[in-house]
Amino acid sequence: MILFAAVLLPVFGAIWCAFPRSGRAAPFVTALCVALSFLVALWVGARVAGSGMLVAFDGWVQVDAFAAVLMLSIAAVACSATIYSVGYIAHLRQPPRRVRTYYANLALFIVSLMAVSVCVEPGLVWIAVELTTLLSVLLVSFTDTRDALEAAWKYMIITLLGATVAVLGVLVLFWAQHVAGGTAFSYAGLAADAHRMNPTLVAAAFALLLVGFGAKIGLFPMHAWLPDAHSQAPAPVCAMLSGVETSAVLYVLLRLSPVFRAAPGLHADIWFALFGAASLAAAALLIVQTHDLKRLFAFSTVEHMGIIFLGASIGTATGNLGAIWQILTHALTKSFCFFVAGAVGVVAGTTEIANVRGLQRYAPFVGTMLLFGALAIAGAPPFAIFLSELTIALAAVSSGHVWIAAVLFIFVAIAFAGTIAKVAGMALGTERAPGNHHPLPASLVAVIAVAAVPVLVLGLWVPVGLGTLLTQAAAQMTSP
Amino acid sequence: MTNAHPLITEVNALLCGFFVLSAFAMVVVRQIGACIGVFIAQSLLLAASAFVLGAQPLSWHLFAVGCVTLLSKPIVIPWLLRRLVPREIYTAREISQSLDVPTALLVALALALVGFALGARLVHAAPVSAPENVIVGFASLLIGALVLAVRREAVPQMLGILAMENAAFLAGIAIAPDFPLIAELAIAFDVPLLAFIVALLTRAVYRRVGSTAVGELSALREHAR
Amino acid sequence: MTLWQSLALNVLQLAFVVCLAPLFSGIAARWRERVQFKRGPSIWQPYRDLRKLFSKEDRSSESATWVARFAPYAVCLSPILVTLLIPVLTDFPLFGAFAGDMLAAGFILGIGGFFLTLAAVDTGIPYGAMGASRTRMVGFLAEPVLIVILFAVSFVANSTIPYIVQQQWVSPPAHFFSPAHVLVLVAFSMLIIAETGRLPVDNPAGHFELAMIDESKVLDFSGPSYALLKWGGAMKTTVLCIIFVNVLLAPWGLASSPAPTQLGIAIAAVFVKVVALLAALVVVETSLAKLRLFRIAEYLGAAFVVAVTAMIAAVLAP
Repeated sequence: MILFAAVLLPVFGAIWCAFPRSGRAAPFVTALCVALSFLVALWVGARVAGSGMLVAFDGWVQVDAFAAVLMLSIAAVACSATIYSVGYIAHLRQPPRRVRTYYANLALFIVSLMAVSVCVEPGLVWIAVELTTLLSVLLVSFTDTRDALEAAWKYMIITLLGATVAVLGVLVLFWAQHVAGGTAFSYAGLAADAHRMNPTLVAAAFALLLVGFGAKIGLFPMHAWLPDAHSQAPAPVCAMLSGVETSAVLYVLLRLSPVFRAAPGLHADIWFALFGAASLAAAALLIVQTHDLKRLFAFSTVEHMGIIFLGASIGTATGNLGAIWQILTHALTKSFCFFVAGAVGVVAGTTEIANVRGLQRYAPFVGTMLLFGALAIAGAPPFAIFLSELTIALAAVSSGHVWIAAVLFIFVAIAFAGTIAKVAGMALGTERAPGNHHPLPASLVAVIAVAAVPVLVLGLWVPVGLGTLLTQAAAQMTSP
Repeated sequence: MTNAHPLITEVNALLCGFFVLSAFAMVVVRQIGACIGVFIAQSLLLAASAFVLGAQPLSWHLFAVGCVTLLSKPIVIPWLLRRLVPREIYTAREISQSLDVPTALLVALALALVGFALGARLVHAAPVSAPENVIVGFASLLIGALVLAVRREAVPQMLGILAMENAAFLAGIAIAPDFPLIAELAIAFDVPLLAFIVALLTRAVYRRVGSTAVGELSALREHAR
Repeated sequence: MTLWQSLALNVLQLAFVVCLAPLFSGIAARWRERVQFKRGPSIWQPYRDLRKLFSKEDRSSESATWVARFAPYAVCLSPILVTLLIPVLTDFPLFGAFAGDMLAAGFILGIGGFFLTLAAVDTGIPYGAMGASRTRMVGFLAEPVLIVILFAVSFVANSTIPYIVQQQWVSPPAHFFSPAHVLVLVAFSMLIIAETGRLPVDNPAGHFELAMIDESKVLDFSGPSYALLKWGGAMKTTVLCIIFVNVLLAPWGLASSPAPTQLGIAIAAVFVKVVALLAALVVVETSLAKLRLFRIAEYLGAAFVVAVTAMIAAVLAP
């Protein structure tokens, strides 16, 4: 069906890359397939906004409003990352065989990410999440340096550890539903049976899933792989990892949260809030002392995952709206930031904060975009993230959880200060040592320019269809 | 639930006992080849438990799970490792680890006790066909995590992850015997893919660094370089 | 069953152990050589050695005290005392059965070893002191294993009297495969190998003094003292093997009444069982290399872990 088309279109790109003669055309064919996939995802989103759920196999593969939001963000970031790769990978000057492997790998990675958004049976979802890990490891180690391999290994081990713990959580959840007499093992079925399930089992499943999937999301204290993987991976891969992969797994946890909320005595919302606040605080403090631009953006990802958790822990419709909206805006903004970071790497030859000065002088486009990106991701108005964070803060205050709003405000402010201080130093000021600067490939310029648009526009105006989707998704999450 | 033949229950309990022993063995063994041997033994025990539990009441589902486990873990994964990872690392005499063996054994024992306690709490809360599977599964999961933390070499770290997965499925065949078969099959195909990717990465590390002691790689840190 | 019958059975038990212990050690020595395709000594050789040694002169060093003179008697007497406590031929308790349980048996054997260790230091030769310290290292690592095994056994059988424990795992047959039982068997066999000084812990046929653990303690004894030490060592091995087969591994074939036919069958059955166990030990010995000294701690640590797992399995058994 049409859902399978959206998910599986990039496979054709991967198949094309498998042939040794594909050579120069491989990047473009892959980009074309992914762009088609994006168009299909747009159509799916419009359909869901108009007429509710889109079902392929009931209880296994179906898309409702929340899934459509995730699918849109994945498809958008995937499309822009693939087009960006065309120029970036060419700049890296790797042998053609490695380049073909990269595109094939990227295409399959995109397929697995889309699969996470369309599956509703937790077993299938777990498989999709595991596949996202496996297919992105070799992408992270693409540059094949000693540090890249170390980062890829750490990433792989920590996330596979989390996945293995999570599979036990999924099995315990199945057990709990089986004992309570339910049969439909899907998000909806679990939410319906939630009040009958044994609280001890649900608590065990919650602990296992929180730790297991939390390692993949980058929740504190399982975030150790994030900065290393992001500082070593190529920029488009970082964009996908940060922008959508962590959000996809977060989506899974949020979809399962009605089950945990219904368990008496578990106080799932307090745990969510605690982990969210801890991630936010740790990330903000780590941002202040980081030395690499991509690591800074990686910590910012941890921070935003914490914010989304805080938003989801509130429990009201507005809080859920804020959280879901933050997923979308974060995906778009973070990918934009990493595209710019990649451009900085191309232009200045390094992403070390201390070694880059005065970008505005010799690469005005990159410098301006860098400032835009830093302001956007730190939550300044009028960019998109400001609105979603504001929604979350308002939801917190209006439902009585003032401490959440206070924590949010304090640590976002700390992160804001840290980010702006470091980035301003990079973009402004006098050039340190005028060396030879590489020109920016055209596809990079195009993608950055295009990606900047929604980052700004969504902060001012939300399209009607998108708004419908977001409110529908929030309503679904609030009422079981 | 426990109206199965007592011999079945006892034999299954025996298999679980050996399973937890194999988890301890994985903490102790010093050569990489021996580590793979322990993993093969553990996978065989898992398959045997699936067959035994599926014997009565008769469940073709569990037989299928056992067959799939038998095919993928003891056969495919060692074959993949032998083919992809350079042969030299298997002839090393002793592999390094952060804790010496007796200390690691005692920590493993403590973790096993914690796992047993957690599993026992769950088993008391809800009925299950083979409670020893759940208890041993939780304990072996924690011991597998210890293997992962303690070993510094690449292949034993991966075998630690696979051992954790074995433990999770040992618990799974008891608590979720009719878990959708499609998901089980997909998981079965996912495990060799995992081994494949890890072996490729190990090969890349060996080519670039000269050894597979990934625990020694610790250059990425938070200080300015 | 009258007192005389009971005494007679006890004497029969003692005679079985005392007389057949050298035969068992001879069988083990010969089979160890045969497995390596050599000819090996005759199985009656230990008897010839004992006869030769008893006719020789007993010399001891000038600095030796009463400890060195007393040790051979202690080493010989402790297995004899333990024989009175364990089921050797009968599965009904004889008088003396309740005088001590398996823990007492373990510690009585320990008394013999203790005096031998002291005597090794007492004789003044350096190899003796070295062997004594190594034996103590193995001994203190093996103690927790023994105690935890007994805990496991007591959880299952609610007693540590050997006669009562023996009933536990025999019938119904399903209980034989219970994880507590099998893990206790594994742990106990690892313990036997350590306590009797066989490979992979120690090489009983080795000649290199710097690598010896047990053998170097008896280097300074001669004549009847040495004969008693050899005999005592063989009896200790036999007693441990009998505890293993009659109580834990295969408690079948024992006499259930004092009738002579039953006793005859029991003697034959126990002989066959012990010899089978020795064969298994010989196979293990010849297929493993001797452990480096500090790896013995790992070996016994593994035995400890197995024993604790057995205990947990016994506690958690449904």
